Amino acid sequence: MMKRYWWLFVCLVALLCAACSDDSSSEKKSEYRVVYSGEIKTLNYLKTSETNEFAVAANLVDGLIEYDKYGVVQPGLAKEWSSNDDATVWTFKLREDAKWITHDGKEYSNVVAQDFVDGLHYVLDAKNESSTAWIATVVKNGEAFYNGELTDFKQVGIKATDEHTVEYTLETPTPYFLSMLNYVCFFPVNGKFIEEKGDSFGTTRENFLYNGSYILDKFEPQNERVLVKNELYWDKDNVLIDRIRYKYNKEAATVAPELFLRGEIDFASIPTSIIDEWFKDDKKKSQVRQTQNNFYTYFYALNFNPQFDAEYEPDNWKVVVNNKDFRKSLFHALDRVSAMLTLEPYNPKDLLSNTITPKNFVDVDGLDYTQLAPLADIANQDSFKKEQALAYKEKAMTALEGKATFPVKVLMPYNAGSPDWANRSQVVEQQIEKLLGTDYIDIIVEAGPSTGFLSEVRRPGKFALLEANWGPDYADPSTYTDPFTVDGTYNKPELAEGYTEANGKSNYQNLVDEAKSAIDTAKRYELFAKAEAFLIDEAFVIPYSVGGSGYVASKLNPFEAQYSPFGVTAEKFKGQQLLDKPMSNDEFKEALAKWEQERANALAKAAQ
Amino acid sequence: MLWYIGKRLLQSVVTLFIILTIVFSLLRLMPEEGYLGAAADKMSPAQQEIYLTNLGLRDPLLVQLGNFYSKLLQGDLGKSVTYRTDVPVVTIIADKIMYSLAFGLGAVVLSLILGVPLGILMAQMKGRWLDRLGTGYIVIVVAVPAAVYYLVIQMYITEIFHLPMLFDVYKPITWILPLASMALAPTASYAMWMRRYMVDELNKDYIKLARAKGMKERTLMFKHVLRNAFIPMAQYLPATILFTITGSIYIESLYSIPGMGGLLVDAIQRQDNTIVQGLVLVFSSLGIIGLILGDIAMALVDPRIKLGKGESVR
Repeated sequence: MMKRYWWLFVCLVALLCAACSDDSSSEKKSEYRVVYSGEIKTLNYLKTSETNEFAVAANLVDGLIEYDKYGVVQPGLAKEWSSNDDATVWTFKLREDAKWITHDGKEYSNVVAQDFVDGLHYVLDAKNESSTAWIATVVKNGEAFYNGELTDFKQVGIKATDEHTVEYTLETPTPYFLSMLNYVCFFPVNGKFIEEKGDSFGTTRENFLYNGSYILDKFEPQNERVLVKNELYWDKDNVLIDRIRYKYNKEAATVAPELFLRGEIDFASIPTSIIDEWFKDDKKKSQVRQTQNNFYTYFYALNFNPQFDAEYEPDNWKVVVNNKDFRKSLFHALDRVSAMLTLEPYNPKDLLSNTITPKNFVDVDGLDYTQLAPLADIANQDSFKKEQALAYKEKAMTALEGKATFPVKVLMPYNAGSPDWANRSQVVEQQIEKLLGTDYIDIIVEAGPSTGFLSEVRRPGKFALLEANWGPDYADPSTYTDPFTVDGTYNKPELAEGYTEANGKSNYQNLVDEAKSAIDTAKRYELFAKAEAFLIDEAFVIPYSVGGSGYVASKLNPFEAQYSPFGVTAEKFKGQQLLDKPMSNDEFKEALAKWEQERANALAKAAQ
Repeated sequence: MLWYIGKRLLQSVVTLFIILTIVFSLLRLMPEEGYLGAAADKMSPAQQEIYLTNLGLRDPLLVQLGNFYSKLLQGDLGKSVTYRTDVPVVTIIADKIMYSLAFGLGAVVLSLILGVPLGILMAQMKGRWLDRLGTGYIVIVVAVPAAVYYLVIQMYITEIFHLPMLFDVYKPITWILPLASMALAPTASYAMWMRRYMVDELNKDYIKLARAKGMKERTLMFKHVLRNAFIPMAQYLPATILFTITGSIYIESLYSIPGMGGLLVDAIQRQDNTIVQGLVLVFSSLGIIGLILGDIAMALVDPRIKLGKGESVR
């Protein structure tokens, strides 16, 4: 009897030891480990528009093109391409060695031109509820098919002319179409597979086909997902990390810094609240660095269609906002550095932006878009100018005497779900009121709902002044004009008085329309720069900053990743490798300067 | 008894119908922005309309309700929309329920094994060192917010013993801390109540009489005192066990346990109506069944209670 218990005990101990030990016996492979709190809702890349889902899709499925680490377009599944003169017909020749792979690493079929047709068909079929269909409507008859006005997909502007050639016909000339291909809605799908799987496509790792650099080895939502290198990938030599392990943790933001220090993970965001502690500790300081700015643009919008409650005097606001001197007084009064300190206490100026289109977004032969005249004047100087603000205040008060009541009530709501935004609103209120005087202006900071803020506050126009943002959708300055043109749901500058031209449209709208009709890149960008300069110079908006991801501790080198301001390739792990130790902030700044120089050269070279 | 159970079940169905209808209707008042996610700003109004129509949100409320109940009667809780797109709600719940059950039941069993004997010993040694030590433990656990000692345990014990901070189903060692943390509060609670009821019973006249008649202390404790003291606890035990399914939001969050904790909050935040409806159905059913089982358990433990027509223990 005793003997049996002994055996049981020994077995139990052995089991525990086996379970606790790492699988160190297997070959040493490079593994990148992270914790995350926002779970992806689907693998179905044709449906989603969420960044974290793009991030997974980008590593599992390839599109026609990719970018290199400097942001120059490179061949992806397409090995070459061409377009007609007015950029309405685009033809892509596919590589012949790309394969669809099943979850267990077996070859399913070749990637062929029809897969792109099937992908777009799925996206444009409204019943599939794709939330990126709006991008795909650039294709001829795409919108009509989505709306149901057209039922024959053959009339939509995409066809497979042979097994390895796909041709897109677009609704209007679109010189930036290549950059749109970086969106998941233009990704291929195997028609037979998706039909077979129906609604369950993308719900599990088994109900999915892979043609990208990784395969999902494990997909347990709210627990763990593991990506392993696709051994049958056409470009597998450039996949340098063998395994990527995402561990779910609801409190990831809180526990990640500690897990990073203990060596349990390889990436952690370091929140503003503990950044001081990290910078004061020598050991930690060498492991934390800034991140590259992203291309979200943040600005303060002055509302020309005030629909807020009578107690905040919308009629009075409407009178003053139509006075350029009043707008300019606000424009020059906003001290953006002090506002930014609420978010970025160490390097606040690094995030500020003087234009709506961020720096480094697009260029003409290596010259950055923001440096084109007349935008360059605005881009190169800080809008915060005390004397000018006060001078415009005097002019506005004189001009508006008897027409408006002072102090002007300025309703400035913020999203109650964002503590940083709340703090910033208080800072902005105090700073502007102190400078311009409470005899002139009374900024009223009000908390808006944390759920449905945009539909409750911004879209119905229930604000006078509002911090707002916008992200780009493709590589063309027109993407940053959408919020301010007629269909925009921001501050409705088309309603500004005294700006309507003979054709019934606003000056800005006409400038944008003219720019959109230009096909030659240099001319086009010049016209967009003119339109943007007009928008800012008239103080319809006050440019504020670009988005940033704060500080991180990471074992990845950010300058090895594919670079693109929009779309999904920036999420690819391909080309990146694990560092022995994380980059410090000094090393980051040095590498950034080097990268910027190399990038300028690469862009100039690509333009030749 | 059977008649009683039948009647209670029938009442439960009506209660469930009312709860579900109210929740279903309230969910339809949520802002539409939530359904559109990141694309809200990018889609044109016409595209948004088509999208929402396809989700069935443009049907009249009564039609939506009718569709929901007709599917429910066929056992179909629907598919998730914004939480895990196109995955059946039943699958989502089933994936998670086992983790919460394992931890929840583990914690209940552990706390019963530790808490009940501790309460008995404390009652027997009333006023002595063990009683004081136990009371100290109970006061600390009750007075300090759980979030605080959960964090302290995770931060320091993992560091001292070099344990991983996060749960891994295949590493048994990572089960220990979350389980122990979860058992801390119920252990204290069982010990406290057990001690209280035992002390109450021990002071009763029939115990004094039994002692005077020379009954053995062991027989007295286990056959009379313990059984009577256990009756009030028996009433709540079924509901406690059933509710382990709902999971512990905090423990599961801290240790990355993929259980049910927080699923309801997540689903509400993401406006995934089908999951919220499914969870409301599951949780309300559990609550109702827990109460019925509690009544039955009491009747079984205490022969003085009889459940017949028109009777209830509550």
